[in-house]
Amino acid sequence: MQIKLSTLFLISLFSLAPAITGAAGDESREDPWADARAGMIAEIEKDVRDTSELINRGGFNRPVMDAMKTVPRHEFVPESQRQKAYENRPLPIGRGQTISQPYIVALMTDLLEPQPGHRVLEIGTGSGYQAAILSRLVSQVYSMEIIAELANESRQRVQRLGYENITIRALDGYNGWPDEAPFDSIIVTAAISHIPPPLVTQLKPGGRMVIPVGTRFHTQYLTLVEKDLDGRVTTRQLIPVIFVPFTGGHQ
Amino acid sequence: MTAARHAPPLVAIFLLSASALAYEVLLVRLFSIIHWHHFAFMVISLALLGYGVSGSLIMLFRSFWLRHFTGVFFLNILLFGISSVGVFVIIQHLPFNALEILWDPSQWLRLLLTYLFLSLPFLFVANTIALTMLRFDLQIARIYSADLIGAGAGAIGIMLLLSVFEPPTVLRLLAFAGLSAGVVVLRQTRRQLAAALALAVVASGILLLPASWLELRLSDYKGLVQTLRIDGARLVESHSGPVSRVDVVENSQVPFRNAPGLSLQSPEGPSGQLAVFSDGDAMTTIDRHSVQSSPGYMAYMSSALPYHLGREFERVLVLNAGTGADILQAAAFDSRHIDAVEPDSQLTRLVSETFADYSGWQHLRGQVELHSTTARAWAARADRPYELVVIGVPGASSGGAAGVYAFSANFDFTVEALKSYLGLLKPGGYLSITLWTDTPPKGSLRLFAAMVEALRESGVTSPGKRLAWIRSWNTATLLVKNGELNSGEIAAIRNFSGSRSFDLAWLPGIAEDEVNRYQLLPRSFFFMAAKAILSGQGESYMKSYQYDIEPVRDVNPYFDDHFRWNSLSTFLALPGGSGIAMIGAGYPTLVVTLLQAMFAALLLILAPLFFLRRKLHSDGNLRIRVFAYFTAIGLAFLFIELSFIEMLTLVIGQPLYAVAVTLSVFLVFSGLGSLTVQWLVESKGLDPAVLLRWSVLSILLVTLVYLLSHSWLIEHLMALPTALRILMAILLSMPIAFVMGMPFPVGLTATSRTAPELLPWAWGINGCASVLSAILAVLLAMEIGFTGVMLCAMLFYLLAWRTLPRKRLT
Repeated sequence: MQIKLSTLFLISLFSLAPAITGAAGDESREDPWADARAGMIAEIEKDVRDTSELINRGGFNRPVMDAMKTVPRHEFVPESQRQKAYENRPLPIGRGQTISQPYIVALMTDLLEPQPGHRVLEIGTGSGYQAAILSRLVSQVYSMEIIAELANESRQRVQRLGYENITIRALDGYNGWPDEAPFDSIIVTAAISHIPPPLVTQLKPGGRMVIPVGTRFHTQYLTLVEKDLDGRVTTRQLIPVIFVPFTGGHQ
Repeated sequence: MTAARHAPPLVAIFLLSASALAYEVLLVRLFSIIHWHHFAFMVISLALLGYGVSGSLIMLFRSFWLRHFTGVFFLNILLFGISSVGVFVIIQHLPFNALEILWDPSQWLRLLLTYLFLSLPFLFVANTIALTMLRFDLQIARIYSADLIGAGAGAIGIMLLLSVFEPPTVLRLLAFAGLSAGVVVLRQTRRQLAAALALAVVASGILLLPASWLELRLSDYKGLVQTLRIDGARLVESHSGPVSRVDVVENSQVPFRNAPGLSLQSPEGPSGQLAVFSDGDAMTTIDRHSVQSSPGYMAYMSSALPYHLGREFERVLVLNAGTGADILQAAAFDSRHIDAVEPDSQLTRLVSETFADYSGWQHLRGQVELHSTTARAWAARADRPYELVVIGVPGASSGGAAGVYAFSANFDFTVEALKSYLGLLKPGGYLSITLWTDTPPKGSLRLFAAMVEALRESGVTSPGKRLAWIRSWNTATLLVKNGELNSGEIAAIRNFSGSRSFDLAWLPGIAEDEVNRYQLLPRSFFFMAAKAILSGQGESYMKSYQYDIEPVRDVNPYFDDHFRWNSLSTFLALPGGSGIAMIGAGYPTLVVTLLQAMFAALLLILAPLFFLRRKLHSDGNLRIRVFAYFTAIGLAFLFIELSFIEMLTLVIGQPLYAVAVTLSVFLVFSGLGSLTVQWLVESKGLDPAVLLRWSVLSILLVTLVYLLSHSWLIEHLMALPTALRILMAILLSMPIAFVMGMPFPVGLTATSRTAPELLPWAWGINGCASVLSAILAVLLAMEIGFTGVMLCAMLFYLLAWRTLPRKRLT
């Protein structure tokens, strides 16, 4: 099983590689944000090095960082926040919503251990940035957003940016997405008093669920829910996650 | 004008002081609703420095302002009226986000603007009082008494106003109350017609201000605001009271489902609930009554543990019942009689009256009895024992990081409190407390340590044999039996936890490999703490823990404060600054508030000395005396006042009444003390120094008596009926308040005789010291308890005794 999965992963990586490098290559020529994005990546990499002991990993998987390099974060923030789009910090995006700190996005993505054939459920689309990152790494992202107007905006945004493997639904995420279940991984970015039983059910054996805990601007720790191949469910808490105040921008 | 020359405008001062104090309380309410409570504390503390600003300004413009006394006095009244409403409108339009403050330096600028604007109304009121004192320097004590008695009336008045009206209406009413002082002094103004016209224009302006301008714009990040954005969400009830604003939201499309600590194994969640928000946050829920006979999801919460020990309960007590989740749980498990205690009757009314049909209260009516008081007061008075006493999780805040409530006194989980709950249990009965957990855990560990302490102090030699502790993903339930847990119960607890993927944290006979199995923590914090605490290693374990988890007592009831200076450097040294999120918002907010206030106070106190360095005739020694004296009594007054309020809150058993009653008794009786100073100086020709000696001696004596007897007093008073408790609280506050009202007017009188030019400076210093005192008192109480704070106050009074400004020797 292990060999099969990694083979599949390699094959998909090869098939994706030209697209990714191609896109990145194009962007570095034309994209005025390329330097800022590179700065953000450098900062995430530094954070990973600094926190490697705490998060129990030497670095994030290459494809995750590649996805972070390709997705134009400035497209996911309001005009007024564009200059800060590539700072390693959460940003307000209006309506009481935030776009998470890039380091946290990368960490959560990495924790999900995305594979090219995976189908991922996201609860809480927000700006659509996390979904966009995941869409570069898996075959299909299903994203649910409880606020209808936010869901519509994000749907239009990901369509405009050409992320075709993201489906966004304006619906309560508590019951998950039974029609498309089970999922290889689930990411819950909404505040919850408990882990919804339907989501546990819709997680595949061997699947992983990530839930950040804290406020919209300060993630305190991450909860990783794992369902083993026998269906036994455990949670694991990762502390502390990084918090870097007053970091300068990399525009 | 002739009348004004001889008689200070005491009625006007009374009205302005009443309005200013009421305005201060109102601002705390408004900012708690718009932002968060800890933030409100910071902003209002800083805004009160307006009193300090007034001292500096008067010192600078003294002669001009005194020449035009009536005009300036009247103008300040008008400005209070305008600014009280005006600055609130402006501040609501400042795009300030308290949560973003550590990320975005520009937020600090907006915060500074907030302080500056908010200090204006206080500045204008302070100007009127200080100017009057300067103008009528022989009647300082009388003026000060009008100021204090007015503030006392304001303390009661604002509670009444907030009980009847919505905060924006109260805002207008307070502006009118302030302006009414203008009507009182109208006849003394030179151009009466113009003054009347100005008053009329300002008053009509405030009256005609569109309601939408004063509508509260809650932070976008508050739970209520976020919830209302969801399709189908409908605000079905909104009510503001003196303690909190309560909003109820219904959503038929997207039902609420709040179930703290629900097991991962639960086949279902709640089917639908109403969401209840306190001050737009701290969400709790009311469950829809379901006709099904089984408890459903409620059996899968960690708090359901006591109901799975093979017993049904005859008499259950639910403390801090809130909106009734634990009442419904107790009822679902067929408890015969449930006493439910909740201090905020607004909350229980929602579930038992307003939404009785929704909650199915008619089915519970015969079973449940509601009591509107605090857990402590009920525990002191309950006449029959219970088989089960339950305390459930409080509402969840979406806004602040951990530790937001760090500096709110919480008498529910002190060692004394736990002892009183244990005393309510029948032999074989259970006490079950569920708290939210944090990672790494803090509050739950402190609760365990306090419980062990309470058991030991109650004479239990092996507390470990009576305790069971389990935890879910985000809650921990601590169960204590009045007696040792038997093997049947131990097996039932294992079974309950195992089948629900809850982790055992402590159980008699627990093995190390039984813990940290389902909800994996980086270390088995809970078990390690339990083992250490029960084996007598608790002290060293707690000392080495990164957070303060030592048990708290009634003298330092800051259960939610876990800050530890020793750990600060450790957290800050964590890679990439990751430790900052671990520190918590509460304590740092206090420290930051104190630092800002100290900086501003220093600036305000030194600035006039700098600008007037050539004009001041008084010598340096006298200035040092004035500075020391007024700083000392400013600090000491609030140290004692706040300690009394906190302790009497416990006695009265109703935080709202407690604060209103003690605050106003303190202010009014201090006012009477001040009036007595006037009488003694004026009619009896008593020397201020003699007066000071006697008042300080009396303060020291009364404080000492109180310090020696407070535990005994509290214990015995708490068992009295409500009316008697309030009466006793008043009687206890009266003598100390009376003598504490003396040193300030004595000092001002002495200053006006020795160095009249320093009078406004003294007023400003006292204003600044009072602001610092309110913050320092809380910080100190956390470290050394209220008794320590009162001891410090005694030292300050002794310092004042030694530094009364004296006549120049030349």
